[in-house]
Amino acid sequence: MLLPKFEFHEPKTVDEACQMMAEYGASAMVLAGGTDLLVNMKKKLLSPQHLIAISRIEELKKVDSSPFGLKIGACLSVSDTASSDAIGKKWGALSAGAKALGSPQIRNLATIGGNLGTASSAADLPPSLMAYGARVVLKSSARERTLPLEEFFTGSKRTTLADDEMIYEIQIDEPAPYSGAGYESLGVRSCQDIKIVNVASFITLDGPGGIIKSARIVMGCVGPTHLRAHSAEKILVGEKPGEAIFARAGELAMQDATPRGAAFSRASAGYKKDMVGVLTVRTLGTAWKEATGERN
Amino acid sequence: MKKIITLDINHEHYEVAVEPNQTLLDTLRYQLGLTGTKKGCEVGDCGACTVIMDGVTVNSCLVLAMQAEGRQITTIEGLETKEGMHPLQTAFVEKGAIQCGFCTSGMILSARVLLDKNPEPTEEGIRRGIAGNLCRCTGYQKIVEAVQSAADGMKEGHQ
Amino acid sequence: MSQYDVIGTRAPRVDAPAKATGRAIFVDDMSMPGMLYGALLQSPYAHALIRGIDVSAALKLPGVKAVVTHKEAGLVKYGVSPARYDETIFCYDKVRQVGDNIAAVAAVDMATAVEAASLIKVDYEELPAVFTIEEALADGAPLVHDDYKRNISAEVHQEFGDVEAALKECDLIKTTSLKSKRQDCAFIEPQGCIATYDLSGNLTLYSSTQTTHYVQRSLAMALGAPVGKVRVVKPYVGGGFGSKASASHLEMAACLLAMQTGKPVKMIFDREQVFLHGRARHQFVHTMTTGVKKDGTIMALKHEAWLNGGAYSSFGIATVYYAGSLLGGPYKLPNMKYDGYRIATNLPACGAQRGHGGVIARSCWEQQLDMIAEELGMDPLELRLKNIMTAGDVTCNDLDMSSLGMKECIEVVRDASDWKNKKGKLPQGKGIGMACGFFVSGAGFPIYRSETFHCTVTIKVTEDGGTAIVSTASAEIGQGSDTTFAMIAAEGMGIPLGMVRIESGDTDFGVDLGAYSSRQTLMTGQATKQAAENVKMQVLDALSKELHVPVEDMDIKKGYIVFKKDKPDLSALKTRYIKEHREWTDNPSLDDELSFREASRIAFFTKGTIVGTGMYKPPELGGKFKGAAVGTSPAYGCSAQIAEVSVDEQTGRITIEKMTDAHDCGQAINRTSVEAQMHGSMAMGLGEALFEEVKFDDKGRLLNGDLAEYKMPTALDMPPMEALIVESHEPNGPYGAKEVGEGNIMPTIAAVLNAVHDAIGVRIHELPLNPERVYLAIKEYREKNAKQ
Repeated sequence: MLLPKFEFHEPKTVDEACQMMAEYGASAMVLAGGTDLLVNMKKKLLSPQHLIAISRIEELKKVDSSPFGLKIGACLSVSDTASSDAIGKKWGALSAGAKALGSPQIRNLATIGGNLGTASSAADLPPSLMAYGARVVLKSSARERTLPLEEFFTGSKRTTLADDEMIYEIQIDEPAPYSGAGYESLGVRSCQDIKIVNVASFITLDGPGGIIKSARIVMGCVGPTHLRAHSAEKILVGEKPGEAIFARAGELAMQDATPRGAAFSRASAGYKKDMVGVLTVRTLGTAWKEATGERN
Repeated sequence: MKKIITLDINHEHYEVAVEPNQTLLDTLRYQLGLTGTKKGCEVGDCGACTVIMDGVTVNSCLVLAMQAEGRQITTIEGLETKEGMHPLQTAFVEKGAIQCGFCTSGMILSARVLLDKNPEPTEEGIRRGIAGNLCRCTGYQKIVEAVQSAADGMKEGHQ
Repeated sequence: MSQYDVIGTRAPRVDAPAKATGRAIFVDDMSMPGMLYGALLQSPYAHALIRGIDVSAALKLPGVKAVVTHKEAGLVKYGVSPARYDETIFCYDKVRQVGDNIAAVAAVDMATAVEAASLIKVDYEELPAVFTIEEALADGAPLVHDDYKRNISAEVHQEFGDVEAALKECDLIKTTSLKSKRQDCAFIEPQGCIATYDLSGNLTLYSSTQTTHYVQRSLAMALGAPVGKVRVVKPYVGGGFGSKASASHLEMAACLLAMQTGKPVKMIFDREQVFLHGRARHQFVHTMTTGVKKDGTIMALKHEAWLNGGAYSSFGIATVYYAGSLLGGPYKLPNMKYDGYRIATNLPACGAQRGHGGVIARSCWEQQLDMIAEELGMDPLELRLKNIMTAGDVTCNDLDMSSLGMKECIEVVRDASDWKNKKGKLPQGKGIGMACGFFVSGAGFPIYRSETFHCTVTIKVTEDGGTAIVSTASAEIGQGSDTTFAMIAAEGMGIPLGMVRIESGDTDFGVDLGAYSSRQTLMTGQATKQAAENVKMQVLDALSKELHVPVEDMDIKKGYIVFKKDKPDLSALKTRYIKEHREWTDNPSLDDELSFREASRIAFFTKGTIVGTGMYKPPELGGKFKGAAVGTSPAYGCSAQIAEVSVDEQTGRITIEKMTDAHDCGQAINRTSVEAQMHGSMAMGLGEALFEEVKFDDKGRLLNGDLAEYKMPTALDMPPMEALIVESHEPNGPYGAKEVGEGNIMPTIAAVLNAVHDAIGVRIHELPLNPERVYLAIKEYREKNAKQ
């Protein structure tokens, strides 16, 4: 399996990368970890004329934590995401997603930005990032814009990214007191698996033993892109957390899910729906534990 | 167009002329004769082409040769020293962890990084560490035992 | 203390250091001066007429050295079973599967070859295609081959005893079925080869194959080359498991291109091509009816099997026979009826895979026996023990259990797993299950009718007597056969393993049918033992003349001559050796023992190079009925396994907690290697039980032709496995040894099926047990129970 021909560029800075993007436009693609892009090129699904490799730009590998939250460079590897103390301490569901992705070798190459840019609804990082309310910062030579991750995805394998734009940074706010999150994915194998369903849940309580102030539930593999389980979230707000209300949220999440019953997909639509219910309950359980745990 | 780059492999410098679309795997195997790195799937699924790059394992089929310039690369050929085989290699031989041998290079390199990071891994930890290296012959049982045995031996060696 | 010095030890494998250091050479590691690269043009359609092929654009591409189609290749039919030669090197009239081969190109590099292949224009006329057994059998269905009426490529009808009469006498009659999915061998090394052709007309193929002999024969036949001019050499092979057991189109095309260009030509499959041309496990659908007495005595089995065979016959006739014959044991079964059908479809062809033909049949029956035990209120393990065969028993289909440690295997796993305290006593969601199985220790007959020896082995002692070189055409493909034969040779000559060097996998070394049907340890082992004993006799014979000691008063052990009576004066001999070798650095010491090395040097003075030869073919085996050749073997290996599982009932996900396994290999030549085969078998069985399935779309195109979507187990999916060796001493095997490579996969799937039932009360009759299937089965079971 040979790669199609292309020109290789390795800019030293973000600005330089942006200039190249501006110059080559649609004929160029950004090469970060390459674990999706190079595979798709080998399979002749993509054949960009220019590859702009950004994985060596140090600025893109930062993890800046402040009292307000985190700024993560787009090229932070998935394994560094998984092992980062700063991330693991307060954003455990993101660590869990990173640990669930691919294999050790893939995690060492793959980047957080790449996992978002690919815009696969089976991807492991978007659910927790969306549940945490993360934003992406996009850069081009002309402008920089910041938007909620939720608005970044526009469809299956589609994003708002313009031809000359690249993902620069991911921002996550410091979680409010008494909040917690959970991530669960279901695959056939224990690792190296493209998921059948994945779910992340995030809840904030109004105090120890209090009611749920806000909730976000994000589901993967059950729509063209990651979906919010809005009706499940709604029913949780104002309620005391507990098994019964979580079960009800699970049922509503199943209704919020819109899996396609494609004949050749990894699982049937019915099974995916049912599993959304199971994983929603489980992730809410994890989130509740964290919200009432020692972390606050 | 070909470009001459310098690769740092097993602490030796190699000047090679490579095409942009040439992978590190093909460069190692077909240009430098380092055929211990194997080609099993070419898309990052099997782990047979695993090499260590700047201290972490990567599938060399998913790294462009040009991306590898200036990085420290270790292949299976770099594990032996003048004293002989690396303790992991010895353990794989003695514990019967090798059958067809096609996954072995990658498997040993994954185990090496695992032990670098965690010299006292649990069985679960070993399985996680080699989960990106598929083996069809062994069911992984004797591989896990070999890594455990190498870890024990290396620990004693340090004391 | 063992009576053996080398056999039965845990000697490290002879090939392990080379493999641990990356030195071992596999075919894609080789290159040759002036080597060209080949690429295949393959059909995108599952079924289509070929109206025309235009290679002109490909030929014009700079760097292209040859393009070959059926015009150059000819139309000689070949295949695996002579009764079903249904392939040509390239398709000429129509294509029958996606990936069918149309043409091949040789060029200066791989990129040029691939590009040139894409420039070949083929005018196809698409035909309606059949993909399932039902579609293929439907009235008016298009025929894959005109010769196979109703698309039946092979059928078997056998009855031993009187099944209907026996069923009338039964207290309980049970009918169940099991449907499996196509599995892939999924070895990590894709097939590849390099062909060379010299000016004297010698064709040499270096290939990743399990069977140099059959490849040699097929190449000679299909290419019209004299068989004596064809040599096949096997470098190290990265796993085979059945898929590399017959000649492939890749090998044919590479040879043809080498003959056309006079240059070495390398061709390597990519992973998708491995799936398209792997010819691995068929899809099986079995329905079985078993009758038993109240006390659990098995009386009769009525069995029907349907196999989806794909586009060509390959090993398929043997497959459909094995699917029936391998139920003859290991339980006493007086009456057995079998009707098997192999159906041709427009999917890639299927062939042989570890446990050839028998795995799913065994799984179906062993699950059914568990259900019968449950209805009789018996422990399923006791039901099996009650019906178990022992050494000397002969099955109703004439399989002679010349040794059989089946009972011991069951007892060993029962005790090691603490079965009695676990069966039926584990909490909901956790379960334990067991099953048994057996397999041939080598096919009793070659694939083609012949009086040939199945293997010949030569052992040559070097001039100084320091090294014995074993030459065999047998195939080391990862299973450890080189080490096995080196150990047998060392034991047979009475020398340490370190004095033996083995060269294998080259048709120039003699005849060996290769690594399939778990034949090598027994058969090549016998030939090796004979050759080794022949060397020993020649050395002792020469020594006898020198020392005037009768041969029968001497032996060789651990590299030294043993004098059973008075030790003669050896000083003259020892001095002679030293005189001959005075400039050498590693001469034997001048102690009072005479080494093998000194003795064989002395023998060299009178006999020249000492060459010992050995050969083996099975003795006359039982069974005169049609198809008796498939299943008869000089010996049978057997195993019992216990699986412990837990089931996540909310998701349907199964975790295998532990496997306990006992296998009767007759006599372990290398204990580590026997365990390693047991582990590998279980892993492949667990993959098939839980995950693996090659999928196609409605056009017959692969949906999961990669190792991401085709899910073989990773290290995290595999449980700890305990491998326990049982040794029954097989009278027909070398030092009592018989197979372990395939028999041990037989019980795995059924042990899991039975453990899952123990965990959640659900019986599942379709594989694989992926989360969705298990979840739906639980759901259905609960809904059914709720209604009742």
